[in-house]
Amino acid sequence: MKRKFQNSQSRLPDNTAVKQQQLPAYRLQLSAKEILSGFFATGVFCLGIGIILLLSAKSIKEIEINYTEKCANCAKLRENAANFDRECTCSIPFYLSEAMRGNVYMYYKLYGFYQNLYRYILSRSNSQLVGTDIKDVTNCSPFKNSPDGTPIAPCGAIANSIFNDTIVLSYNLNLSIHIKVPMLRSGITWWTDKYIKFQNPGSHNLSSAFAGTTKPLYWPKPAYELDEEDPGNNGFINDDFIVWMRTAAFPTFKKLYRRLHRIQHFTEGLPAGSYSFLFLDFPVSRFQGEKSVVLSTLTWSGGSSLFLGLAYVVTGAVTWLAFFSMMAIHLRLKERKVFFLQ
Amino acid sequence: MASLSVLRIRRCLELWCRSQKWLGSHVSVAVAMANSCSSGLTPSLGTSICHGGRPTNRKKSESFYCCCIKTSKYNAFNFLPVNLFEQFQRLANAYFLFLLFLQLIPQIASLAWYTTVMPLMVVLSITAVKDAIDDLVMWLPGPLVPHCPFLIFLFPLPSADILLLSSSEPYSLTYIETAELDGTLIPSFCFLFSFFLFFSGEVRCECPNNKLDRFTGILTYRGKNYILDHDRLILRGCVIRNTDWCYGLVIFTGPDTKLMQNSGKLLSVSLQIGSMCFILAIGHCIWENKKGYYFQDFLPWKEYVSSSVVSATLIFWSYFIILNTMVPISLYVSVEIIRLGNSFYINWDRKMFYEPKNTPAQARTTTLNEELGQVTYVFSDKTGTLTQNIMIFNKCSINGIFYGGVYDKNGQRVEISEKTEKVDFSYNKLADPKFSFYDKTLVEAVKRGDHRVHLFFLSLSLCHTVIPEEKVEGELVYQAQSPDEGALVTAARNFGFVFRSRTSETIMVVEMGETKIYQLLAILDFNNVRKRMSVIVRTPEDRVMLFCKGADTILCQLLHPSCRSLKEVTMDHLDDFAVDGLRTLMVAYRELDNAFFHNWSLKHSEACLSLEDRESEISLVYEEIEKDLMLLGATAIEDKLQDGVPETIITLNKAKIKVWVLTGDKQETAVNIAYACNIFHDEMDGIFIVEGKDNETVQQELRYDGRTATAHALEGNLQLDLLRTACMCKGVICCRMTPLQKAQVVELVKRYKKVVTLAIGDGANDVSMIKAAHIGVGISGQEGMQAMLNSDFAFSQFHHLQRLLFVHGRWSYNRMCKFLSYFFYKNFAFTLVHFWYAFYSGFSAQTVYDTWFITFYNLVYTSLPVLGLSLFDQDVNETWSLRFPELYEPGQHNLYFNKKEFVKCLLHGIYSSLVLFFIPMGAIYNSVRGDGKEISDYQSFSMIVQTSLLCVVTTQIALETTYWTMISHIFTWGSLGFYFCILFFLYSDGLCLMFPNVFQFLGVARNTLNLPQMWLSIALSMILCMLPVVGIHHCMRHPLPPPIRTKLKHPSSRRSAYAFSHKQGFGALITSGKTLKTNHCSSSLVFTQFSKEILESLETSINLLFHSHSRGSASSLEGTTQVRQGKVKKEPPDTCQEKTISGLPSTNLSKF
Repeated sequence: MKRKFQNSQSRLPDNTAVKQQQLPAYRLQLSAKEILSGFFATGVFCLGIGIILLLSAKSIKEIEINYTEKCANCAKLRENAANFDRECTCSIPFYLSEAMRGNVYMYYKLYGFYQNLYRYILSRSNSQLVGTDIKDVTNCSPFKNSPDGTPIAPCGAIANSIFNDTIVLSYNLNLSIHIKVPMLRSGITWWTDKYIKFQNPGSHNLSSAFAGTTKPLYWPKPAYELDEEDPGNNGFINDDFIVWMRTAAFPTFKKLYRRLHRIQHFTEGLPAGSYSFLFLDFPVSRFQGEKSVVLSTLTWSGGSSLFLGLAYVVTGAVTWLAFFSMMAIHLRLKERKVFFLQ
Repeated sequence: MASLSVLRIRRCLELWCRSQKWLGSHVSVAVAMANSCSSGLTPSLGTSICHGGRPTNRKKSESFYCCCIKTSKYNAFNFLPVNLFEQFQRLANAYFLFLLFLQLIPQIASLAWYTTVMPLMVVLSITAVKDAIDDLVMWLPGPLVPHCPFLIFLFPLPSADILLLSSSEPYSLTYIETAELDGTLIPSFCFLFSFFLFFSGEVRCECPNNKLDRFTGILTYRGKNYILDHDRLILRGCVIRNTDWCYGLVIFTGPDTKLMQNSGKLLSVSLQIGSMCFILAIGHCIWENKKGYYFQDFLPWKEYVSSSVVSATLIFWSYFIILNTMVPISLYVSVEIIRLGNSFYINWDRKMFYEPKNTPAQARTTTLNEELGQVTYVFSDKTGTLTQNIMIFNKCSINGIFYGGVYDKNGQRVEISEKTEKVDFSYNKLADPKFSFYDKTLVEAVKRGDHRVHLFFLSLSLCHTVIPEEKVEGELVYQAQSPDEGALVTAARNFGFVFRSRTSETIMVVEMGETKIYQLLAILDFNNVRKRMSVIVRTPEDRVMLFCKGADTILCQLLHPSCRSLKEVTMDHLDDFAVDGLRTLMVAYRELDNAFFHNWSLKHSEACLSLEDRESEISLVYEEIEKDLMLLGATAIEDKLQDGVPETIITLNKAKIKVWVLTGDKQETAVNIAYACNIFHDEMDGIFIVEGKDNETVQQELRYDGRTATAHALEGNLQLDLLRTACMCKGVICCRMTPLQKAQVVELVKRYKKVVTLAIGDGANDVSMIKAAHIGVGISGQEGMQAMLNSDFAFSQFHHLQRLLFVHGRWSYNRMCKFLSYFFYKNFAFTLVHFWYAFYSGFSAQTVYDTWFITFYNLVYTSLPVLGLSLFDQDVNETWSLRFPELYEPGQHNLYFNKKEFVKCLLHGIYSSLVLFFIPMGAIYNSVRGDGKEISDYQSFSMIVQTSLLCVVTTQIALETTYWTMISHIFTWGSLGFYFCILFFLYSDGLCLMFPNVFQFLGVARNTLNLPQMWLSIALSMILCMLPVVGIHHCMRHPLPPPIRTKLKHPSSRRSAYAFSHKQGFGALITSGKTLKTNHCSSSLVFTQFSKEILESLETSINLLFHSHSRGSASSLEGTTQVRQGKVKKEPPDTCQEKTISGLPSTNLSKF
């Protein structure tokens, strides 16, 4: 019979595993034991990680100085357009009771500055920043062109609002001797940003490469004059600029500003003692936020955030709690089952 | 005539004549381009698309003008626009097109245009390819209708009703098989128009309606009026037989309006999205006032934004775009793919293949798979579905003598078996060798030349609509519409009255070797009301004879008073036949004198021409001649049960599926079959019969709870009473149902019970029921292909139904539910993160993820795992689902995906999105990398969130997958791996430098994937998302029923055939049957008057033990039962209860 069908086109479906839904398979059936031990192990893991994280975060030294209020006078002064060019400095002394050992990083921290607004994030021209087309300002609204129509380089709201406070840290050896703490302004960006994503336009001479463009509205200096000390740190590959251009995810953020150059007095880090911050160039501050400066040391897991450690500890504790309660339920059920079977 | 729409024929073009080699015949159809003067009633007349046939390439070279008939919807040029137009008519597609337009408005665009365009394109192209394939398949010669020699393919989608104009047959006769009538061959008459290429005339006809057996109209052609009736119409879906070619005119055409639904869910989710957008817009408004206003130094408002309110309005739409990823377009295409895959499984199932006929099961609709897992009511036809519909002429009663029983020497009745000696038909060269008969006395009577016996068989050989085929001399093949007829004519043939050939005016019969030609004067055709058919012939001896066969209930009133005593005897025989489960027909004749017949035929033609109420007039004329009949006898045809029917019904009952049998058969036959196939059990003690001839009796029957109802069972207030009674019953049989009534019963249950119904049938008379039910199943059996062509699923054996429901249906339903809950979950988790982010990004419609991630999330990263889950997952294997039909029950109550489950998905999604947002946020907030560089930039954040999201949803699906095949592993882990590959590609230097403005995430992968914070936060998110799920799942998980505790009753010891073993229970039944019989006769006049409206009789068997919990009404029912027929208690009730209880523990456990 079968033979006949094979000859005369049997319509019997193929006997393959897929077609007959008979694929060899493993049935995932977690037993109570497996689940309970899984819970237990997860609890151990979470508690372990949490404790490690908390311990390592404990070794971090951090100091944060909010200078919004303290430099308010300066800010007010600068807000008046007439006083635009007037130098204004404000200095904030502070005392470091314990030395900050190891690498010390200086951050500026902004509160309530929305770098993550949709239109803000979009308002940049990557093709300009990568140096291919300096005049491409298509995505940069509302800061595309200067009022006279020349394209802005670097264009866009992000570039325009660059953080351009100058912060100088000085170490007060004694009352009279103030040593300027040596700071490095390099190595504060991602390598890919510095060497791939941001490139200056091709021409040898930077200022001529920027010809035909104008500086952003709020910038005192054009891009090619950002760093007067290091000519290689100008234009789009300026480290401060690159750091600013990597927009923050949340309205409160800190960005790396300088790192300690460990020479002279500072080979071991920042020794204990009294310091002072000097703030220069203090322009527009009308975003109703706050500013502070942060000095911090680091561990393997990065900054001082306790969140992950705490979260792990809490999770581990809750998991254990769940483990014990499930265990209790399980044992009682088992008892009842035994009773039932009898 | 006011409601008549006027069609004006502009031109009538002969469109093509195609030769179908494989059918060996020509079928040509001419179709007129007709355009409608009436407006909305005939929607697509102007286009006049007729799915007529397939012009082969060879024929295209011939100069036939072939402009407007198409078998296929598309050609190479119109495919794109037509297909796109059709696709955008679907609500979902149109919705996404609307979204796309929103996205193109620059003021509110919050996502790049390609995030919507790419999925939309993929979806559209997949659907387009599917449509194109469907369209191509139509062009291929399908193996659909192997045994119909001539046919027009009228494909399910736009098909047409065609008015026959001319045909190849000499007497303008065309045999068509109509769908809705009782599966008979109907001769249709054409007008004999000589040929015309340009033809102008006018057709006035009634508006399109659903009365399929009625049509009135007038054709005006060259000043003459021609009457049109339904004889001249080929309805859509009809099959033409015995006709070489015919020309027709398309009258009605239009697309089937089987609705595409599923719009409700979309709407509710949209509303939800809308309200969320509203919240966010308000938030934005406040934020702009408090913060954004002061932030203008850095980001000035746009020129057109005058206040924060304007901005908020725009933001509303921006968020609307973003949050719409909750219900992405890929949902629809995934659902289609899953449905398609699951229907392929049905097609591929070897266990649903029927070898003797070489037919695999066929899923003809791909949209109903998951409903197969939710069926609560099964409506089954009896004939051909429960029974094999192999009709065997088994017994007969001629002139009061019973033939067909076999008795041994002692006069004891002998059961017929293989060994029983067959009657030798060798005296008859034209006998059918397959026919077997066991009672020699009948042959002896024929040979003896018994006049009555001869007349009996002569009438069987004359009175029918069978079409003979004699390709080889002496080898007759009958093309019978109903197998009963075939069996009768074959029986007559074997006993020596061979129906040899017919023209429209003559019938050639070889009577005991002697060829005689009878002139066919008239065929008084069968219809549902008349339940009989007659032929009037002029014998070679020039006598005019009328032969009539029909339902005994009808015929016994038309008999001549002189055969009263014969009638009594015959009726007794008929009762015996019915008890044996045989199908019975009465045969009678009448001799007419010439003058009377002449008079009558004048009246007849007059009636035929009458314009108004033609049908009733004709039937009046028919009644005039069909009276004073002389009874010849009765026939009994055996109808065998199909394999495995009782077992299947037991299994269905275990799964709490109610099986109702709707049959056109007599009550006794039906009850017997019901017992035989376990719809009724022995232990059911209260069978009560609801029966009524008019509204009053029906009302009395149903007045069980003091309710007074005033109309007929199916048409008025009684509906509810009927339904309530019937639904409390364990088994329900509705007898004497017309096709329309079958559909009405189905509609009734569908309307009031709100459960999924399934109708299964094989014949043309089941078509309406199959169409009415949610799921129509066609048995490709004896009675042609009508039921199959109209069904959603087709196979050849009733017992395949349990596999279809319990294996395929259950899996499909479970898979679809798992798919939907997972799919909604993953998209809620995905989308709601934006909602939380809004509170930190000034409600500025900033997305958390990279736009490319949004584009690919549903399309690439998560599509395969979920498809793998919903194509390969098996919660329990097929053996278990067949052994424990109780597992089917959750589907009936739609427990796996309903509003509650949806809310659960939503809550789960909300929880996951909270974890997915706040854990990475906490991890990077105020934190830096190990080298002091920043970590809390937007791009790293989105990278962390999207990676944790993918890890979480992949783990989630891994937890939901219970059946891990190789494919599931590849799909699940492969997709996750693929994500990282794509990530490195999308964030690679080359791509980002090439398109710096499109791909902005340069180097993010490299700089972020090496961060401990990232992996720690991913691990924490996964733990937080998974542990509660595992824990809750574990606590809620129902342990499978332990096999030791379940006593499975193997139904192997059941009787397989007829209800002979029900003797005890039958005593009451038979007597009730007899009393019913007299009722039938005495009240049948009433019946004819109300025939159209009344559900003639409805039988119910109720097992009070099972339903004693249904309180008051049950006890009143008990009362009814007692009144009707004293209770016959066969078995102590304990057995029954035991059975109930033995089923219970497992269900209880499974619920735990």
